[in-house]
Amino acid sequence: MSTLTGKPGVILAARRVHKTYRLGKVSTPVLRGVDIEVRRGEFVAILGASGSGKSTLLHLLGGLDRPDPSSDTRSGVFYQNQNIANWSQAQRNAYRRSAVGFVFQFYHLLPELDARENVLIGAMIRLGRIGYMRERAGLRTAADEMLEALGLGKRATHRPGELSGGERQRVAIARALVNRPAVLLADEPTGNLDRATGGKILDALLEIRARLDQTIVMVTHDHEIAARADRVVHLEDGRLAETPTGEPASASASRE
Amino acid sequence: MYQSLLTRRYLTSRVMPLLAALAVMLCTAMVLIVWSVMSGFLGVLLASGRTLMGDAAITWPITGIPHYAELMQRLEDRPEIDAATPTIETMALVGLPDGSPQIWRLIGVDGESYDRVTAYRDTLWWRKIEKPLPKDRDFQDPRLRLDGGHFERGLTLTEPDPVTGEPAPAVVPGLWASGYNARDPRGWTIPRYRFMPDEEVTVSVLPISRGGAVVDVRAKRFPVANEFQTGLYEVDANTALIRLDALQEMLRMQAAERVAPFDPFAVDETGDGFAEPTVVGVDPARVTTVMVRAAAGVGAIEARDAAADVYRRFARERRDAPDPDLVRVYTWEERDGVRTFIAAVKKEMALTVALFGFISLTAVFLVFSIFWSMVSDKIKDIGVLRSLGASRAGVAWLFIRYGAAIGVVGATLGGAASWLIVSNINPIHDWLGSALGIVVWDPAIYFFPEIPSRLDPFAAALVLGGGVMFSVVGAIAPAIKAARLDPVAALRFE
Repeated sequence: MSTLTGKPGVILAARRVHKTYRLGKVSTPVLRGVDIEVRRGEFVAILGASGSGKSTLLHLLGGLDRPDPSSDTRSGVFYQNQNIANWSQAQRNAYRRSAVGFVFQFYHLLPELDARENVLIGAMIRLGRIGYMRERAGLRTAADEMLEALGLGKRATHRPGELSGGERQRVAIARALVNRPAVLLADEPTGNLDRATGGKILDALLEIRARLDQTIVMVTHDHEIAARADRVVHLEDGRLAETPTGEPASASASRE
Repeated sequence: MYQSLLTRRYLTSRVMPLLAALAVMLCTAMVLIVWSVMSGFLGVLLASGRTLMGDAAITWPITGIPHYAELMQRLEDRPEIDAATPTIETMALVGLPDGSPQIWRLIGVDGESYDRVTAYRDTLWWRKIEKPLPKDRDFQDPRLRLDGGHFERGLTLTEPDPVTGEPAPAVVPGLWASGYNARDPRGWTIPRYRFMPDEEVTVSVLPISRGGAVVDVRAKRFPVANEFQTGLYEVDANTALIRLDALQEMLRMQAAERVAPFDPFAVDETGDGFAEPTVVGVDPARVTTVMVRAAAGVGAIEARDAAADVYRRFARERRDAPDPDLVRVYTWEERDGVRTFIAAVKKEMALTVALFGFISLTAVFLVFSIFWSMVSDKIKDIGVLRSLGASRAGVAWLFIRYGAAIGVVGATLGGAASWLIVSNINPIHDWLGSALGIVVWDPAIYFFPEIPSRLDPFAAALVLGGGVMFSVVGAIAPAIKAARLDPVAALRFE
């Protein structure tokens, strides 16, 4: 199995990752040898224009998709030194269940479930029937506390259709965190919200990060939002360029 | 776990699955009702066929079986056989009280032993009933006003002789044989023109010689003691019972002296020009059939085999008994006409149930269509579940489980609906008849005065299980489609 060596504190990494979409005879390369490392507790923003491959990279990091096959044994997506690109379907399912949590731009809450059930569904999938039933009371309390912390204490029994966009996104964040994942992968979490609401969502993410020392990888096309991350990487033409340490993302963006 | 939660929510928050459950309900109810009615029809047919002839019979038509009392004793000595009774069966031309002629199948029976072998007692219609039928609020059932005499006289097939007062042979026809009775839609029978037990009929029969030729025509008037109803319309409309000794006498099958052939040289001691014939023996009384009832726990076939064995031994010892290789010994189901009729009904039942079952396959396509569109509708949800770590098998199981849940709901409702309908099928039919003029079940066509039905637990389990299985089958292809969805494509689906 390929390993990522000599990088203490790195929890998640992509090495020389290529991804090409094929539609019939037409091939569209999206990622062309992407390298990125995410350290434990870090908040990394991946900044890029629409269609630059940000979401694709996030899906690869989250094990939802595989990079193009490569003969280079050092290439791949690595989680705690293990190349998840080589994992079986079942291993990647387990990885998504316990190691990562997703937050999507359009929330993707299950409309038939209320807020609490939407939060708990990840735990149900992770623990299975017996495990969930055993820990049900504790998980329910944890879900309620998480909703409370996100300002949704009184909305736990409301269905997504009864919630505002910002509330839905906060439920989605709670759902992503209920399994205490090592990495939170957020795909344009404020992209569908107005600036004020988006700002509040970002505040919530930062508060969670501070409280839980949560590693966050967020893709966005918004420079201001990206600027609040520890580190910003730019995705352009399928390649990443990192903003120099200490330099604001907006400054780096302005050079593009 | 998430599958059960989502199944519950999908079931209660959407109309489409309820429509699918409704389709399953209608299909299962339809098959169960058809099966129950057909099964009830067959059951009543079998029970009614058995009512008049017991479990098995030994038959030798025309000349009949002699020494039948001894044969019956030997039969009853066998552990497989509980009781035996002698009967004679023939066709009769019957003149009704209004002069109209009818042709009836006439069975001569000994009331007491016939009742032990068959359910004769239960078939006698005119008897005193203590409580009116549920719908008889005005006490219109004539049986409420009868005394016990009709039943007793029907059981012994006798009526008091108007001159001597002695019990004289009588006839007990089927309830629909005379055409004088009518069934009230509320459940009882009313004599329309005449009350048969107060009437007399003229019975004409044809005694037949050993060679099969008609000897002469014998006609006699008999009072009617009662009427019977087996429930099998064909029997109740064409059959009558008569006291055995009366029919024996009419058909010349009673005990008689046997005389020597005419001797032209014999001395005329009486002086009337003819010598007295010389009596050389006695021809015993004969019957055409001996019916038997199997002992408790013994099947009709075992009883038949035991009867055949008894008859073989009997014929070896009684030289004037018909050849055991020619005498027919059969179960009630093997009787001529009955076997083919029952086989035909069984085939029709299987065919009807199969046809309705085949029609019910539409439920599979309905569930399939609904699930296919649901999977298309739920693509994003499937992507979310996969992003949360749900496996392909888990997603497939969600939809299969959902299909099974729809099947269980539909089949349960279908089972309850069919139980309600089958339990009340005759009131429903009566209501349709009175309110809308729809009479589907004509007793003259369907043999029985009421729609028979029997909800067999095995059939119910099979049909309800089939309903669930059909739903699951309908959900399989959409479940596979859902499981094979690429999670990224699902999340990006617009």
